[in-house]
Amino acid sequence: MAFKMHEIRELIRLIDESQIEEFKIDNEGAKLVIKKATGRATLVTPAPETAPAAALTPAPAAEPVKPAAPAPQAAPQEAKAEAPAQDAALDETLHKIVSPMVGTFYRAPAPDADPYVKEGDRVDEKTVVCIVEAMKLMNEIEAEVRGTIVKVLVENGQLVEYGQPLFLVKTD
Amino acid sequence: MASSIRDELLKVLIEHQPHFLSGEEISRRVGCSRAAIWKHIEELRHEGYEIEAKPRNGYRLVYRPDRVAPEELAPHLQTKRFGRHIRYEYSTPSTQTLAHQWAREGAPEGAVVIAEEQVQGKGRMGRTWHSPPQTGVWMSLILRPPISLAEASQLTLLASVGVQQGIKRVTGLPIQIKWPNDLLIHGKKVCGILTELRGEQDQIHYMIIGIGINVNTTSEHWPEELKKIATSLAIESGGHLHRATLIAAILKELEEVYQEYLNSGFRVIKSKWEQAAGMLGKTITARTPQGLITGVAERLNESGALLIRTDQGVIPVYSADIDWKEI
Repeated sequence: MAFKMHEIRELIRLIDESQIEEFKIDNEGAKLVIKKATGRATLVTPAPETAPAAALTPAPAAEPVKPAAPAPQAAPQEAKAEAPAQDAALDETLHKIVSPMVGTFYRAPAPDADPYVKEGDRVDEKTVVCIVEAMKLMNEIEAEVRGTIVKVLVENGQLVEYGQPLFLVKTD
Repeated sequence: MASSIRDELLKVLIEHQPHFLSGEEISRRVGCSRAAIWKHIEELRHEGYEIEAKPRNGYRLVYRPDRVAPEELAPHLQTKRFGRHIRYEYSTPSTQTLAHQWAREGAPEGAVVIAEEQVQGKGRMGRTWHSPPQTGVWMSLILRPPISLAEASQLTLLASVGVQQGIKRVTGLPIQIKWPNDLLIHGKKVCGILTELRGEQDQIHYMIIGIGINVNTTSEHWPEELKKIATSLAIESGGHLHRATLIAAILKELEEVYQEYLNSGFRVIKSKWEQAAGMLGKTITARTPQGLITGVAERLNESGALLIRTDQGVIPVYSADIDWKEI
């Protein structure tokens, strides 16, 4: 399904307000790239299997070329923790549950309550997996697919962007 | 509707208060037999209404108990849709919970759940809201806006504008909005709004705007820790308020701002919000889940986030509790 006009308008507005410089989204084959520097939005249809659709995952390496030296900025253990998450994020067979809005991600309905879901939990279309809150609007996010939670990609209390993947789900 | 005769009867009595109306006239207007009227008058008396009956003069309403039942609201309502479907409970754990159920069962837009008392009033993130019986307005409004999920948070600001205008129209009190949608009088909280949404990526199934207002609450209703931070309309105005009138005024204002929003977008709401906000131009501290942000509250952005000017530039804040000191 391609993008609707109001969705594109909405995206441009949201990105304009954010600190995001470049935004890519892959919506079932239709790709949208918004770059702030030029202020241009381009809509490209079915892309050949090159760039992964991991919009907004923490800085994925642009090319698979290995640098000679180890990564400069990240602490070793941090890099280790990132690695499997990225592998999973790049696994195209997994379904991503993404945030429908900018806001704060909450894994549980209250600070002392159990999380809605954990890794390994079964979910169906109607299972509430988290809350994203902005301006005191509590948005209960449903899984919208049937499967198993493979990975929780964000921390409780973290600020998430529009379209940011929150969970990876292995669908049935 | 089973209670429509009684609603109609009460409406006629309220309209003629303090004058008498003959039994025949009442039965003609309500459209049922005099015997039926007698029965319904008995029922009303049972609920605390005082209705004087005088031979040859007929009936007149002497006293109305302070209830927020649909038949009490009906004579005051000036809306097209908001409050035209009401689910009323004397006591309920939370009007939000009931509204969720009703919305899932297909409640129409504008439907409202109202209670005299909530025993587990819901605040944000599992916090509670203190709602003693018959002292406040505890209600939840169901909306089905044709907008995207990313825009939905604008409606929480819209709600604060509508409620603020409604309260102001009835009481004239200096009521301010604290970002995003608490209402304060002289720095103390008088109303809280909790909005919950169910939807999918591309569609909103429904939104529930929960509104809690301390109306006739007196400070002895509150535990010690609330007294410093909470107030009520009665405390501030020095008089008892008729809650049904207040609810009707709020629903009317809410319906108007909502219609305005659907017609012409967030811009007008945003400027009304900014006019009613007490914090703009002041140095504030935002306690966010990601840490403290201190700076000058500038304005809203197009989603309703608060823009705070700090040493590092202007930061949009989406989730926070705001503190500021009046100087």
